[in-house]
Amino acid sequence: MLGYIRSVPAVWRVLVCLVFCRNLTSIGAAPICTNAQTGCQALSLANLFDRVIQHSARMHGISNDLHSEFEQYFLPSKNQIGRVSRNCHTSTILTPNGKENAQRMAREELTEVILKLLMAWRDPLWRFHQGMAHNHDFNNFSSNKALEMSDMVHELRKGVEKVADKMQMLGIISNSVSSQVSPEALLPSDSAEWHLMRDYDLLYCFRRDSNKVQNYLKILKCRIVPEHGC
Amino acid sequence: MTASSLPSGLLLLFLISSLDWLSTSAFSSDPNPMTSSDSLEPHFTECISRDQETFRCWWSPGSFHNLSSPGALKVFYLRKVSPVSEWKECPEYIHSKRECFFDVNYTSVWVPYCIQLRGQNNITFDDACFTVENIVRPDPPVSLNWTLLNISPSGLSYDVMVNWEPPPTADVEAGWMRIVYEIQYRERNSTYWEALEVQPHTQKTIYGLHIGKEYEVHIRSRMQAFSKFGEFSDPIFIHVTELYSEETTFPLTFILVFGTLGILILLMLILIFQQQRFMMILLPPVPAPKIKGIDAELLKKGKLDELNLILSGGIGGLHTYAPDFYPDEPWVEFIEVDPEDSAAGEKEDHQGSDTQRLLGLPPPVSLNHHLNIGCSSTISFPDDDSGRASCYGPDVPNQDTLILMAALLPGQAEEEEATLDEVERAPSPEGGESHFVQSQTAGSHTWVNTDFYAQVSNVMPSGGVVLSPGQQLRIQESTLSAEKEMQRKGKEIGACEETGEKKQKGLQFQLLVVDPEGGSYTTESTARQISAAPNSPTPSEGYQTIPPQPADAKPAATAEDNQSPYILPDSPQAPFFAPVGDYTVVQEVDSQHSLLLNPPPNLSPHPCMPQQPLKALPATPVAYVTPDLLGNLSP
Repeated sequence: MLGYIRSVPAVWRVLVCLVFCRNLTSIGAAPICTNAQTGCQALSLANLFDRVIQHSARMHGISNDLHSEFEQYFLPSKNQIGRVSRNCHTSTILTPNGKENAQRMAREELTEVILKLLMAWRDPLWRFHQGMAHNHDFNNFSSNKALEMSDMVHELRKGVEKVADKMQMLGIISNSVSSQVSPEALLPSDSAEWHLMRDYDLLYCFRRDSNKVQNYLKILKCRIVPEHGC
Repeated sequence: MTASSLPSGLLLLFLISSLDWLSTSAFSSDPNPMTSSDSLEPHFTECISRDQETFRCWWSPGSFHNLSSPGALKVFYLRKVSPVSEWKECPEYIHSKRECFFDVNYTSVWVPYCIQLRGQNNITFDDACFTVENIVRPDPPVSLNWTLLNISPSGLSYDVMVNWEPPPTADVEAGWMRIVYEIQYRERNSTYWEALEVQPHTQKTIYGLHIGKEYEVHIRSRMQAFSKFGEFSDPIFIHVTELYSEETTFPLTFILVFGTLGILILLMLILIFQQQRFMMILLPPVPAPKIKGIDAELLKKGKLDELNLILSGGIGGLHTYAPDFYPDEPWVEFIEVDPEDSAAGEKEDHQGSDTQRLLGLPPPVSLNHHLNIGCSSTISFPDDDSGRASCYGPDVPNQDTLILMAALLPGQAEEEEATLDEVERAPSPEGGESHFVQSQTAGSHTWVNTDFYAQVSNVMPSGGVVLSPGQQLRIQESTLSAEKEMQRKGKEIGACEETGEKKQKGLQFQLLVVDPEGGSYTTESTARQISAAPNSPTPSEGYQTIPPQPADAKPAATAEDNQSPYILPDSPQAPFFAPVGDYTVVQEVDSQHSLLLNPPPNLSPHPCMPQQPLKALPATPVAYVTPDLLGNLSP
């Protein structure tokens, strides 16, 4: 029974990979072609943006679901200040806090912010998923969602990197974008209750950051690929 | 991370959260039942952002009415953008609504906000913390309207498509806000709202509304992946009456019923009035035998004179039975048997009629029996379909009959009188012929000598039936026809004269040239056919074979003759007429529009006849002339 449970996440990982890797193969696997070379799929920038935005929207949805699910375990605290005061580990990354700020920001900076955020969440989410998988209190549904989330972050980061590469290739942005950020996962002690609290905060923080990523991508697309209403 | 750690963690959390219950807050998700209504402190009622760019907060003084005056309560906020943050007062007060408005410059999304409601002396009545994206409640959509999709066939329910516009305050186009909508509808007098699934599109179909009932529909929106809905829009009313649906369906059924009835009546009328035609189609009449030009009624009435006229091709009668007039009846091959041929045939063996052969009777002994003996041996054909291939016996009933029959023979209609002359003249130049005729006349004319199948050539005024040339009559006919042809060919064929000398050479063959256009025909029987006795077995009985290459078979003396395919039977020698069968194969057509027919098989053995040795008859094909070949034959 335990072996089956342990193998299920592996199976789920494969399935999730198949589902989402297929969606992003054009971004991750297929090389971006300059000309119509055989064997590669030349996607337009708008198409890439659409795919990435769709992915980020789904990621944010899952994070919201998990956050709501965690709220059932924990009584909603009135003292939200205490909760909020617990900084997310991504608080050090400077992010635009409004629509106009994001629109005023340079494209390269905005792209870099997105990549930094995605990079920062790779390891914490993976550890979170591992913690959930080993904790039998959570049903497989939540555990699978956690796995899905961590994979999605990984894929989304790759996707955004591809978008950035294409933009750099097209000359829209300069070549100063770098996604090398130091992971700042400052996790406190490993006690059980803090662990649970940390998970809840982690979900809260990730929910907020996924919303940021989603909005930033939308604004970026609106600025680079002009559409009606932008 | 053992199982026991979880309950302890939960207990700890419970303890912590229970301390928070003492302070009431508008931002708690579950209402606090412990709040007493009599002493209600000033508190925040709600903070809402409509566009995720600005937000407002409202407060209420509660039961502290002395604090309801503007300025008595103050709002302070804290924005945790930096590690060090300080409390600031509300940037914009709207005291009439007890509202604190944060515009774009003071609004930061994803940044924790804390607000405090303070009274005099910094007494904090209420505080709350939130982030702007969590307090977003979008405005309701605008321009809500509906269109009728369809009505069910029963006329009791219908479907409606509702569409709207996203709220103008939400920046949906730029993607800053992603909004999903929820439609609710209910019957006019009901209190329960039916909620449809939340979806991000700006239209929705409502199925299964009932005719006659009035419905109320309203819509609200919220942010995707968030939980707080905005206000409901103003309701719209949907009402579809029964009258409309009934009007459309009632006349339709009426039309259908009456249309079907009308069509049925029309079909019945057509059937009744066109009964004859339908009967013709369903049960076609059996075709009765018909002869062209001959009215069946005429035969029934027994008008022999008219019939004779018609048959003989008189005024307005039938056309001469020429092959070209019967293009669709290829089997009709008209053969004229010359009287000379018949005379010649007389010398042949005329074993007897087919009847006699069939019955196995001995051939009749006639005066010219010696002539028949020679031919008898040749008559050994197994098949005698035509019945006329054997030697002809001298069995002419009388000269009158003969004349009439000769006259009535097809192809000789016009020259009836000439034929008569010929017949009369015929006997004079050729004594044997007349003798033959007479002998034939004197011959027994019994029924035994007639065949099973004989063609009725004429009906005598006396009532007797003249059968078509039987074996005995063939000779006379051929004699007569040959005489006639002699006259005709003299003017038609220019080469007759030159062939005349050939006759002087004693060619024992006779030509019966067929002229398709003239409506007459002659058969050609070469001497070799006649002379080539047993060594030239005819391919089939009843066919007068004609060698295709007369030049090949004929001797050198006769080679020149073959160039003109006509050889008039004017030779002083007693010409013999090869008896012609009823059915003869047309071998070829020469340039003079003559059909060269095959001589009858029995003509080939002719030891009785003085003849010159000729080459054997080459095997000739036996075939009928098909219409297309006939067309080829006629140039």
